[in-house]
Amino acid sequence: MIEFFIENIAISMFIIFVGLTLYITYWASKRTKTAKSFYTAGGEITGFQNGLAISGDFMSAASFLGISGLVYLTGFDGLIYSIGFLVGWPIILLLIAEPLRNLGKYSFADVASFRLKQKPIRLLAACGSLFTVILYLIAQMVGAGKLIEILFGLPYYAAVLIVGGLMILYVTFGGMLATTWVQIIKAVLLLFGASLISILVLSKFDFNLNLFFIEATNIHSNGIDILAPGGLISDPISAISLGLALMFGTAGLPHILMRFFTVKDAVQARKSVVYATGFIGYFYILTFIIGFGAIILVSQNPLYLDDLGGLIGKNNMAAIHLAHAVGGEVLLGFISAVAFATILAVVSGLTLAGASAISHDLYANVFNHNKTNEKKEMQVSKIATIALGLLAIFLGIIFESQNVAFMVGLAFAIAASTNFPILLLSIYWKNLTTRGAVIGGSAGLLTAIILVILGPVVWVDVFNNSQPIFPYKYPALFSMSITFFGIWFFSINDKSKEANQVKSKFKAQFFRSQTGIGIDKAIKH
Amino acid sequence: MTKNKSELLYNQLSKTRFQIIAPLLFITILGYFIFIGVIAFSPSIFGQLITGLNISIGILLGFLLILLIFFITLIYVYLANKKLQPLIEKIKND
Repeated sequence: MIEFFIENIAISMFIIFVGLTLYITYWASKRTKTAKSFYTAGGEITGFQNGLAISGDFMSAASFLGISGLVYLTGFDGLIYSIGFLVGWPIILLLIAEPLRNLGKYSFADVASFRLKQKPIRLLAACGSLFTVILYLIAQMVGAGKLIEILFGLPYYAAVLIVGGLMILYVTFGGMLATTWVQIIKAVLLLFGASLISILVLSKFDFNLNLFFIEATNIHSNGIDILAPGGLISDPISAISLGLALMFGTAGLPHILMRFFTVKDAVQARKSVVYATGFIGYFYILTFIIGFGAIILVSQNPLYLDDLGGLIGKNNMAAIHLAHAVGGEVLLGFISAVAFATILAVVSGLTLAGASAISHDLYANVFNHNKTNEKKEMQVSKIATIALGLLAIFLGIIFESQNVAFMVGLAFAIAASTNFPILLLSIYWKNLTTRGAVIGGSAGLLTAIILVILGPVVWVDVFNNSQPIFPYKYPALFSMSITFFGIWFFSINDKSKEANQVKSKFKAQFFRSQTGIGIDKAIKH
Repeated sequence: MTKNKSELLYNQLSKTRFQIIAPLLFITILGYFIFIGVIAFSPSIFGQLITGLNISIGILLGFLLILLIFFITLIYVYLANKKLQPLIEKIKND
């Protein structure tokens, strides 16, 4: 038994993780009897726990392996993404977190439809959520399949099936409570693993950062240039557009927004953002050290290179190889298991957010208005979870050999162009009307999708055309402008009776969003 | 308390909240877009090395920006708990 453990450290660690998380799911399933507990873990997660869970949602395998891989390849440019992802957090904290907690119940559509007309707004919010969630899910599933193929030697489809199957179990039986604890455990493991790699790397340089960077610039073929901005962003339009998508996209990601309903009140919501920002910021500093560490310790070691001189498994494996270089088989096994756990935890959170959009927004409030009860709604959300899980497995297999790199970028663009503006303006702008929100939000959603399809990442990289029709990679500057202009224009010109009603409800809504008074009263639509 | 007094408290809450949020939001957005702006318009600034070290200005400022972002969240929560929460509790008890 002990010999098996040492020889198969990655698989053993992974089995322990799965065993533990399945036990948590069993424990959580006994506490998940109502819709409230299914969507929000009963609102009993503390600020600290929620901070860890939020940081777990953010520290996906894509950001751990992807950003350290980008740093390994380009040096400084990896920092542009890290900072972009991080800067969304003060925005969420200052503008969104507390009003969201004070006005909503299970999903951000609760806030948007607080005074606006239920059906059209929830339909749009659910579309925005589902697009974001499914694009994110595909990217995670494809990444997971490929990663597990390399790390554990499992066939691609088997890896996708395992991830999809476990995720369905966690979410269907354990709801938000199990999903949150899986995310917390994984966040702790990942922070520990990344810290350990970084400490082991830096210890080789007596923790002298100057010596560390000297060694890296000596080894890398671009020399000193890796300390400067490279070609990731070459023109101002792309810079601003990417900046906007990263900064405001975070504040429109449904699986992140949903986490604010798991805490007791606005005070805890506030606290959770500070913890989350601290953990995520610390983590991004680690990925930067890991990327540079891999330049020094991995890029020249034949053990990690293929016949062409590239990294085995491509650049995203930089962190994994580095774990082996500094910590041998044991650390390699540990980090591989953590990477697998990370994927599981992130897809679970995404699926739960998608399921709540289907059951809470679409089923309960759009298609079956006033004719449903909480028990039925929870059944529907469990069916939706299974359906989304199967869809994720199916799409994961279909997209195996497709280029999915654009999908997370598109998810952020949609979140920034549809979900975020509707949420922000419904909280703060008195003159917002249903017509304005629906027209502006839909226009932004369509613009983001169309511009990405016509742009370089799909039109050229996926469809193999020689020239893109739309020249920029990142659509957010254009799609967000269209959304805000559309919402403004169609709101101020909306003279309907309903528009006046909506405006007259603003004062009371704003009072509640700022104070939380009235939150205990059941929200009945 | 009278109706009037709680209305005064609420006005004070809105005003205080705005005074806390506006500068922090301004610093966040400005700091980030200066960072992105330098990368877009004049990347060579960030490539310069700090005198005597093999660390570029861009890397140093990037790390400092990560710290700044964290401190902004910390400052907000400190101020919100100290200045906003007592007002909210007073209004609630009304």
